[in-house]
Amino acid sequence: MTDKRHSTHFGFRTVDTGEKAGLVRGVFDSVASRYDVMNDLMSLGVHRLWKRFAIELAGVRPGQRVLDLASGTGDLADRFADLVGPDGLVLMTDINAAMLGVGRDRMVDRGHAGNLAYAQVNAEALPFPDDTFDLVTIAFGLRNVTHKEKALAAMYRALRPGGRALVLEFSKPLNKPLEKLYDLYSFHILPRMGELVAKDAESYRYLAESIRMHPDQETLKGMMEQAGFDRCDVHNMTGGIVAVHRGFKL
Amino acid sequence: MSIRDFALESLEQAINRLLDRDPDACRRLARLHGHVIRIDLRGTGLQLHFVPTHDGRLQLLGSIEGEPDCTLSGSPIDLVRAGDKTDGPAQLFAGHVRIDGDSGIAQRFSEALAGIDIDWEEQLSHLTGDIAAHEIGRAARAVQREGERIGRSSRENLSEYLTEEARLLPHRFEVEAFLADVDTLRDDVERVEARIALLEQRRRGDAT
Repeated sequence: MTDKRHSTHFGFRTVDTGEKAGLVRGVFDSVASRYDVMNDLMSLGVHRLWKRFAIELAGVRPGQRVLDLASGTGDLADRFADLVGPDGLVLMTDINAAMLGVGRDRMVDRGHAGNLAYAQVNAEALPFPDDTFDLVTIAFGLRNVTHKEKALAAMYRALRPGGRALVLEFSKPLNKPLEKLYDLYSFHILPRMGELVAKDAESYRYLAESIRMHPDQETLKGMMEQAGFDRCDVHNMTGGIVAVHRGFKL
Repeated sequence: MSIRDFALESLEQAINRLLDRDPDACRRLARLHGHVIRIDLRGTGLQLHFVPTHDGRLQLLGSIEGEPDCTLSGSPIDLVRAGDKTDGPAQLFAGHVRIDGDSGIAQRFSEALAGIDIDWEEQLSHLTGDIAAHEIGRAARAVQREGERIGRSSRENLSEYLTEEARLLPHRFEVEAFLADVDTLRDDVERVEARIALLEQRRRGDAT
């Protein structure tokens, strides 16, 4: 039996808190090499528009320092590195070595050098001094974190006063018909696509389940406020399937 | 997220596909890495922000925070013409295209893109999706309203001329008075008719 105080969600399963990081690692080790193809396929290419929207909300300026958590293959980091210019710095991170490796290779192939650095970090325990970054982002990563409130607090701490954090994550559809359609898609079509393309139905079933267990718009906004963020706002996209939460450190 | 994001994404992809085939343009743009160039499409309410990347491609943003390094503003047609090697300077000096901020960056940016064979007008038409189309629609509705106003006022002017100045047509009050007179006359005639009928009846009665 798992003790209630020390248990957490892994998709629809309840697991020991110590276990989750390892299980999530298993998922991403398995999908790392085909991550980009699957993203395009699963979201029908719309993930580019979600990220584009988040980038505008980030308001990155030349010379700034950006921390990108759960970078994956580095879609955001790639763009941020161009926006901060040669005088800025983007730190691309992931908890998963396989994902970070794939992301790093991709960034090197794209010719990024000088203003992009890499680090394998756990979002719950950021190894950076206080007040370091102008922007901290986590795109489609927070739901895999075991203690979300710890990660949010760590993000707040690492931000400079005046800086902001952006959480881009799957959220709760705003209307019932869309929710039904979305359920059908994620529990029936998605695992099958995962099986065909990434040869891994289980990982994509976890993806769908973890999205359902993730806090909805209002809850996450409350969690950000709890972590200390000011002027938090939520921007829904594609009918609330995805939302950007933004908070400032004033 | 909207049609605008989709249009920006496709425009960005189209430009970068062309840039991939033009290493010279990429080299020139890469030197502008870290700068922001705003294009202000006058008359459409649309602003585009171009950020040259480290490898000389372009990132396109609809909005930025802070100020760009330079702004090029003009109508879409003027801006497209300004990119033309022969016609460009003329456009600038004729005041059709305005540059604010660092003109050196604006010039280097325009020169880098001058060789790119992109159908800007076609590309911009995708962007007219939700913002410019709205502006165009608004302009069309304004024209329609103005047309109606002109139509109404010219009708009023014409009728005023015909009634008051030329006196070719009667005024409304005259017409009403005339119609009232006609009614009175008709009633009078009917009364006379009734009286005649009565008198005739009496005459026939007297005769018998």
